[in-house]
Amino acid sequence: MRKFFAVVKREYIQRVRTKFFVVATILGPLMMAAFTIVPALMFGIKAGGPTRIAIVDQTGKMYDRVARELTGDRSAPNNAPTQNPNQPPQLTGTPKERLNQGGNSIQGNFAVEEVRLGGRSLAEVRRELDARVTRKDLDGYIILPPNLLKDEQPEFSARNTADVFTQSRIENSISRAVRSQRLVENGIDEKRVEKMSEPVSLKTTGAGGKESKGESSFYLVFGLGLLIYMSVLLYGQFVLGAVIEEKETRIAEILFSSMRSFPLMMGKLIGVSFVALTQLGIWAMAFLGISVWAAGSSIAIPHISPVLFLYFVLYFLMGYFIYATVYAVVGSMVTTTQEGGQLALPVVLMLVAGFYLSFSIIRSPNSSLAFWASMFPFFAPITMLVRIVTETPPLWQILLSLAIEVATVVGLMWVASRIYRVGMLMTGKKASIPEVWRWVRQA
Amino acid sequence: MEEIKPTLVLEHVTKRFGGFTAVSDLSLQVRPGRVFGLIGPNGAGKTTTIRMIVNITAPDSGRIELFGQQMNTALQDRIGYLPEERGLYKKMKVGEQLRFFAELKDLRGPEADKRVDDWLKRLELSAWKDKRTKELSKGMQQKVQFITAVIHDPDLVILDEPFSGLDPVNVDLMKETILEQKAARKTIILSTHQMEIAEKLCDDVCMINRAHKVLDGRLREIRRSFSRNAVALQFAGGDGLLNDSSLVANVRQHDEGFEVLMAPGANPQALLKRLVDSGAVVTKFELVEPTLHDIFIEKVREAA
Repeated sequence: MRKFFAVVKREYIQRVRTKFFVVATILGPLMMAAFTIVPALMFGIKAGGPTRIAIVDQTGKMYDRVARELTGDRSAPNNAPTQNPNQPPQLTGTPKERLNQGGNSIQGNFAVEEVRLGGRSLAEVRRELDARVTRKDLDGYIILPPNLLKDEQPEFSARNTADVFTQSRIENSISRAVRSQRLVENGIDEKRVEKMSEPVSLKTTGAGGKESKGESSFYLVFGLGLLIYMSVLLYGQFVLGAVIEEKETRIAEILFSSMRSFPLMMGKLIGVSFVALTQLGIWAMAFLGISVWAAGSSIAIPHISPVLFLYFVLYFLMGYFIYATVYAVVGSMVTTTQEGGQLALPVVLMLVAGFYLSFSIIRSPNSSLAFWASMFPFFAPITMLVRIVTETPPLWQILLSLAIEVATVVGLMWVASRIYRVGMLMTGKKASIPEVWRWVRQA
Repeated sequence: MEEIKPTLVLEHVTKRFGGFTAVSDLSLQVRPGRVFGLIGPNGAGKTTTIRMIVNITAPDSGRIELFGQQMNTALQDRIGYLPEERGLYKKMKVGEQLRFFAELKDLRGPEADKRVDDWLKRLELSAWKDKRTKELSKGMQQKVQFITAVIHDPDLVILDEPFSGLDPVNVDLMKETILEQKAARKTIILSTHQMEIAEKLCDDVCMINRAHKVLDGRLREIRRSFSRNAVALQFAGGDGLLNDSSLVANVRQHDEGFEVLMAPGANPQALLKRLVDSGAVVTKFELVEPTLHDIFIEKVREAA
């Protein structure tokens, strides 16, 4: 038993002291953030100033409405002056509208101007506008055809036609403007139109009454799934590397002459698991700290209950021990790191499959697919955790999956210790599957 | 002979790997306080035998008894083992590495620290204690590895090819250290295919070839029993004397003179007398005992 602790201690201290551990501990959360938050922000942020748009209104009556919709200025229903492109968007109206304007300005607001035909032909005006776009005086222009109200298509020309967000906002703005105009022309009072067009905002609550923020809970599920996936992969690889090192350098021979192979393998697995727990612990403390710090501000930090944290640690450990044990077997079968990488590939794919399954499970956490995926021991560490976060399954399902996990871990370790004992001393070539099978039966 | 219980006893030990027999019906005894040479060519079964002695693998049949007990894991702490294939953690510091291997042999605390320092000093490695192992030269790494085999003061030290890869200075240092262990009444098993080294260090030898024991016993007795009545000669004059087939069976001439194998029953003294009588100037006359190498070759030929 003391020798077992010596192995655990060595694995732990040698790994925690490395630069890699320190760097990974610091960069880990930043990378997680990069994976989850940054893409969302990147889509939202539009660099540069307002998008400058010219509008050629051939209907002669739609410009005001479209301009109002585009600039988000709804407070002045009638004859609002055209906003001066050189002035910042005015923050007026109710707090909600202000919020919308804020949102708009994140997405990039519009500066609009009207261009009248003034006797020139449309083609002539088009040429002039094209020239201005080329000179970068303008980002794009909209042509509202005379029969816009009778489903003639408006036209949008722009330098950057790949910006789907701008396009869809323009489309929506023109649609809304056309709708209100049609209503007004059909004798419905402008004020009533305003009132009736008031958009609905969806309030999301978890069943049972507790209020949850749909979006942040999605990020939470995604983040936790990703965290388990990445940690299991990383620390599984550590075990693989450690086993191959001992086999390659023949340290195994001295180790086996001093202690039995089973406590040696377990010492290795448990030592590395402590390293992982240390890292996760540091992250948990940091997260807690940020939560407390952010409590007063408006930043939405997803709430993680102690029970959820417990489940997370449990399922992480299960996933780790399943995959790390398989990695230990792989390491004892091969002779070089490269061979190890190849043989470990199917193992990695299992983990990836579990991670991708979680996307479908987030959408329907109670489907039979979700049930079976969370009972399969190689997927459960990710899939069951996803189910717990999205729509907590009945306790018996959680306990059943944990029981299956534990049984799998014990079974794998039993098999692994037999393969490990023989494999570690075999040199020269990679072991074949029939050979390995013989070791398991004989040993 | 001494009524001392042997340190190690192997009785009819056999080990097979699949259809291949690595060690076949091997019996031997290693007596305490002696250097026991396990010799034979590469692939003879030496390493497999040693692995069974240190309890890495178990024999398929036969019995191994160590310190008067049936082999078991507790006995492993009383063995020190320097395997032929060296292995150290490349990234660990030398001192920590030795500390770890000491702990694996159940040696810990300040005593372990003290022994690490003492041994590093003894093998002239003190300056390297806080260096990573990969920064050491091959020879230095080998000395570190040797320390891992003896740091827990084992009663039985097993050294598999301890001199390979060492420069002459370190070979001497290593020999000295091995003899110190012997003087401290430790039992030493030395496995090697270099017969000259075995000849100089071993008290007893066991030769194995192709899984079978071909010979064992005290080195001195073995050599005496294999004495083929050979003489190394250097002389001038006395022409034709060596052609007398009643005295001489075979002559080999080389730079240093002649190697003469006497005829069966002939007395080397008679040859010397004849030489002196004939007026030849004898500068060297030496009765030669066969080398381990010669004995080994003879035994292997016999078996074939």
